[in-house]
Amino acid sequence: MSRTETGARKGASPRPKNKLARSNDRVLLLMTLPAALIYALFYLYPTINNLRYSLTNWDGFQEAKFVGVENFSKMAGDSVFTKVLGNNIEFTFLVLIFQTSLSLLFAIFLLQNSRISTFLRTLYFFPTIISSVSVAMVWQFLYEPNLGPLNVFLNSVGLDFLALNWLGSETATLRAIAFTQVWFHTGQMMVVYIAGLQQIPAELYEAAEVDGASRWQQFKSVTWPMALPTTAVVMAYTTIQSFRAFDLVFAMTGGGPNNSSSILVTMIYLTAFNEFRFGYAASQSIFLIIFILAITALQRRILRTKY
Amino acid sequence: MKVSMSAKAFRLLLAGAFAASVTVLPISGGFAAGETLGAKCTNEGESTGTFSTSLVCAKNSAGRLVWTKVKLSASNLKPVNALRAPRGSIEFWHWRAEDKAWFDKIIADFETLNPGVKISQVISNSVDYQATGIQKARTNKKAALFTTFRGAQFNTAATTDFYTDLTNEQFTKRNVIKSMMGAGQYQGKQLGIPYQSLFNNPIYNIEIFKKEGWKLPKKFSEWISYCKTAKAAGYTPMAWMGGFRAQAGQIINSALMNTASTDALLASRITAIDTGKEPITTAWFKEMAEKYAELRDAGCFPANPTGVTEAAGNALFATGKAPILPTGSFSMGGIVTLEPKMSGNMGITGMNWTEDVNARYTGITNNTFILGVNKNAGKTEQQIARAFMSYLLTGPVATYYANSSKQHVTVLDVSYTDVNLRNTSSIMSERLVLAPRFQFLNIGVRDALEDALIAIVGGTSVDKALTDGAAVIKTKV
Repeated sequence: MSRTETGARKGASPRPKNKLARSNDRVLLLMTLPAALIYALFYLYPTINNLRYSLTNWDGFQEAKFVGVENFSKMAGDSVFTKVLGNNIEFTFLVLIFQTSLSLLFAIFLLQNSRISTFLRTLYFFPTIISSVSVAMVWQFLYEPNLGPLNVFLNSVGLDFLALNWLGSETATLRAIAFTQVWFHTGQMMVVYIAGLQQIPAELYEAAEVDGASRWQQFKSVTWPMALPTTAVVMAYTTIQSFRAFDLVFAMTGGGPNNSSSILVTMIYLTAFNEFRFGYAASQSIFLIIFILAITALQRRILRTKY
Repeated sequence: MKVSMSAKAFRLLLAGAFAASVTVLPISGGFAAGETLGAKCTNEGESTGTFSTSLVCAKNSAGRLVWTKVKLSASNLKPVNALRAPRGSIEFWHWRAEDKAWFDKIIADFETLNPGVKISQVISNSVDYQATGIQKARTNKKAALFTTFRGAQFNTAATTDFYTDLTNEQFTKRNVIKSMMGAGQYQGKQLGIPYQSLFNNPIYNIEIFKKEGWKLPKKFSEWISYCKTAKAAGYTPMAWMGGFRAQAGQIINSALMNTASTDALLASRITAIDTGKEPITTAWFKEMAEKYAELRDAGCFPANPTGVTEAAGNALFATGKAPILPTGSFSMGGIVTLEPKMSGNMGITGMNWTEDVNARYTGITNNTFILGVNKNAGKTEQQIARAFMSYLLTGPVATYYANSSKQHVTVLDVSYTDVNLRNTSSIMSERLVLAPRFQFLNIGVRDALEDALIAIVGGTSVDKALTDGAAVIKTKV
């Protein structure tokens, strides 16, 4: 549009919509209504209600009493909450690093549409379709310290120093669950990466080859920069997934031993439904929402500066 | 119950001899089938069974112990028949999915007796039920009959005015064992009827104990000796499952039972910890915790105890690698499912953590699956719920339920025909206390102190585990 046209438009009053257009607008508005209602009922209302409960001492049964920001100030001095927050950060960090790098690695190796690649893609994707509780049960069995196949194998090949009390030791448990989480979701992220990598124009690799670039240089200068937008999606999704790994943690250890594998979502559940401190649990969940938002925003900012 | 003629004759002969020589045994009162009579009436309170015709060893006016007609219910009158239900439909809320088939049969029979009545079961798993069952049921007018766990959940339902009062119902007075009703009482009212009678005591493998010539330990030092002997013989002495708090925590019942000279003192100590007035580093609790360390050092627990899952613990016991499963009678059904050969091969024994064989208590019982009528349900629905409850509390129905579900019940005139129930019925004649673990009403506190005890078994020093636990408890009160 030219500058003159813009000026002319500016001066002119907006053209009144005709009857049909107005009717169309109303229909379109009406069509969004069911989704908006569902969103308001199942997301907006509970979120606002949660905010309200976070300012009370509600126990789930009796009349809730307004306590102001007491729950939030209590959180700051709660040693269990601090420990669990630390667990969650460690868990997310481990999963983020290993899941992202492994899924990228698998995607690079399985990018070709050969028969073996397709088979391996299916194989690696398979855990994603299993229910999380089944995954937890299988790994609980594998990790069993005395009868579990993992330790039986390690002991039988003379690596008994590696045979740990996987889900019973305060130092090993969180890492063992993080490993399971990586095993569970790497295939899913691999598929996202494959879709992203397939969008990279082949000409870029051809040009790099003509310039004599090695495979590593091709990865560094072509693949990685071009895969950054996909990486942003993978990392954001993995972060949120790690903060929501309730089912896996709960089914494998219930957060134990001694809260060493508890993450924020399992703690919120136990605070609400085991200890019946719904007000406090509501304030913890408000913290969780803000924390995830902050981390995701930070990730986006870092990755945006890169590409 | 089927009893061979020779056994029956022997029993009658024994009873006759007793009557003539020792006591005023009222033979005319008779024994119910399957009842057992102790060799001598020497243990006050020992009963021959849980029938309205059973005998109990009690002091007479001269102060001598004699076999006397038992008064197990609140009244001397015979149990009553079930009430009639008006037409209508209700929901029966509970957590025992494993009992669905038995309840389906019982409900079908009840519906036949009461045309126009429809009862449907609403079952959640125990974790969900503990978490949200009560909240959901209280706002549902059809959820007229519901159940609660003993302790925190019952207490919550009672304090929030969810129950109708059952104190004056005839079935409360005449059909159930009075001493087992405490778990359903609140401020002097009988709000719920605990239906199941569990025994949270170690289960042992009869065959192994017989083969090895071992005697059941009767005091703490004997438990230590047992652990050392069993370990030396290549067994895991106790299939303790530290990876699953719910079961690992069962032995705390035995650990607690004799820590105070009176029930009131124990209750006040528990309340003090539960409400944060006293830390778990307090002397009496520390003394108890040190016994966990003694058991640990004697090799009582499996290797890597804190990582042993429920499945692994049960497998250790079911396969004969561990002669003792320190959980309770409720685990027997699962063990038989794992290894059918274990049926009839399991006994139950109390775990005395003191050196006094005559300590106040020798074992644990727990009355749970507390049946209640929802105050918020409609009037007709409440009537149906009350009638169905009265039906569940009749001898024949409770007999069917008990033998099918392999659970003892609190109902009078029940014949335990299941071999595992018969084998474990002997515990009923011991000096039992209602599981003290459930006196902790703050689940967050209970979990934290149990975590501390689990950590001790896992190798943490008593001081460190209790200090860490006390810090966690501070955040829960």
